[in-house]
Amino acid sequence: MIDWQRVWAVMRKDWLEVVRNKQLLTSLAIVPLVFAVLIPSAVVLLGGSGILTSTTGEWQGFLDNLPSGIVPAGYTADQTIIYTVIVFVLAPFFLIIPVMTASITASSSFVGEKERKTIEGLLYTPLTNRELVLAKVLGSVIPAVFLTWAAFILYATIVNLLGGPAMGGVFFPTWTWAVLVVVLVPLVGFLATSLIVAVSGRSSTMQGAQGAAMFIVFPILALIVSQATGLMLFDVPVALIAAAALVIIDLATFFFVVARFHRERIVTRL
Amino acid sequence: MSLDLSAQRAPQDIIVTASALSKGFGDHQVVSNLSFSVARGRAYGLLGPNGSGKTTTLRLLTGLLTPDQGEVTLFGESVSANNADRLRGRIGVQTDTSLYDSLNARENLRIWGALYGVRPKALAGRVDQVLDVLGLSARADSLVGEFSKGMKQKLAIGRAILHQPELLFLDEPTAGLDPEASADLIEYLKQMIRSLNTTVIICTHQLHGLETLCDDIGIIRSGELLSTGAVDELLRRRWPEHRYTLTVGGDLARAAQVVTSSIGRTPETSSAGALAFSTPDKARVPELVTALVAERIPVQAIAPVTPTIEQYYFATLNEEVL
Repeated sequence: MIDWQRVWAVMRKDWLEVVRNKQLLTSLAIVPLVFAVLIPSAVVLLGGSGILTSTTGEWQGFLDNLPSGIVPAGYTADQTIIYTVIVFVLAPFFLIIPVMTASITASSSFVGEKERKTIEGLLYTPLTNRELVLAKVLGSVIPAVFLTWAAFILYATIVNLLGGPAMGGVFFPTWTWAVLVVVLVPLVGFLATSLIVAVSGRSSTMQGAQGAAMFIVFPILALIVSQATGLMLFDVPVALIAAAALVIIDLATFFFVVARFHRERIVTRL
Repeated sequence: MSLDLSAQRAPQDIIVTASALSKGFGDHQVVSNLSFSVARGRAYGLLGPNGSGKTTTLRLLTGLLTPDQGEVTLFGESVSANNADRLRGRIGVQTDTSLYDSLNARENLRIWGALYGVRPKALAGRVDQVLDVLGLSARADSLVGEFSKGMKQKLAIGRAILHQPELLFLDEPTAGLDPEASADLIEYLKQMIRSLNTTVIICTHQLHGLETLCDDIGIIRSGELLSTGAVDELLRRRWPEHRYTLTVGGDLARAAQVVTSSIGRTPETSSAGALAFSTPDKARVPELVTALVAERIPVQAIAPVTPTIEQYYFATLNEEVL
């Protein structure tokens, strides 16, 4: 039984702390700006200028391996490359955004509490282990997801605005992208944050937690993200089945993290 | 030496019981065979020097740590991993390190109220009330990071009492407070205990002013409880005689002779020029005054001297050392 008033209270507190930390906000803003604005703008502008198509030989191998019919018929070589990069190549970046942003907020909120010793105050409250872990995970995942969605809207706007003339009108997003952004982004973000919370439970400093996240969590997520990229080449039902599998992995990870959460270990290492 | 006078009370009144608690970390035994109990509406002072095991005891009592041996009972229930969270909902805990500096005072209190289940409609009013009582209303919207140590201490206590807990744990509540703020805080705690029948456990080594707050005390050193019981009883046992100081206007030597003949004890002369004496029988004091007046020695003042918790604390620690 989860008391959502308590979970919400911890999440709200974490968000207030993030909003008032300008350094943290800047770090959070940089990742989506790079992936949603800088890279797609460069792709579309370079594609239109013919620079990308001048490397057609290097792209050809990739294009040859795409399933038939995945690129709309009637596109020129320039249009095909722009479409391929915007729709397929940049897709994994949108799974990296929630992972990176959640890792920043998760290591700040959870390990930060340990570092400032405020975690002990929370442990004295009626919060259950499950509520505390859930609040910390959701407190990081929700902003990360909204940030990713904002980045996605920005991304869609930019690629359509800049690429529309070259592509003959609005060409983005696709249905598979909808599954990616709406379903996979929250699930991957949740998994990443749960793993970071698990790892950071054994760290007492933010640097330690981020280091552990870098070496333990990111490789696992890289594997999942790379698999998700492949999903973009299939149809929506396949992506939805993969999302269902990710739900099971998320739940299993969450309950594992809760089971490994020991108050005694935390307070005796403060 | 271990006296547990509070154990004589009716069991239904007991809110906290520590029974033969022991806890160690590695080779270091932090708490050893610690037993005491606290009845509803009483204030218990767990007194001891730094590193004596007070904070570990607090963590054991609140279910944050699991004892290696022994048992903690809160509100009649044995504390376990299954019920500790629920029981903590009836407890308030103040420690000095749990405030959020980047939030303001009102936000710190609101979050804690929500964590303890105070309904949103009642929360705003309750927060204002607590801020008002603690004299922090004017700084309600200031960031806690800008607060002085004393203000933070008050706010931490405000956060612990916000949900009007049945049992309140205070860890060094007067640390860092100036004497006036410390006296104000003790006065407020006394009022709260009286009006809400709150049970309070105070872990501290700052002993000044505790006489007026603590009903019971326990003295802990190196994880062992040297003494525990009701303050009055403990002081009476250690100093069974009534002690007085006498200030006279006339000849001090003559007055001392009158005291000796009347009370049967030779008084001591204090540095302030008063006579100090003790008697097992209070009734002899009016007789002494009559005798002094009969000898035409002006009696300026005669006042009982109450031993303090501080004196008892040091006497107990010194006795154990000897």
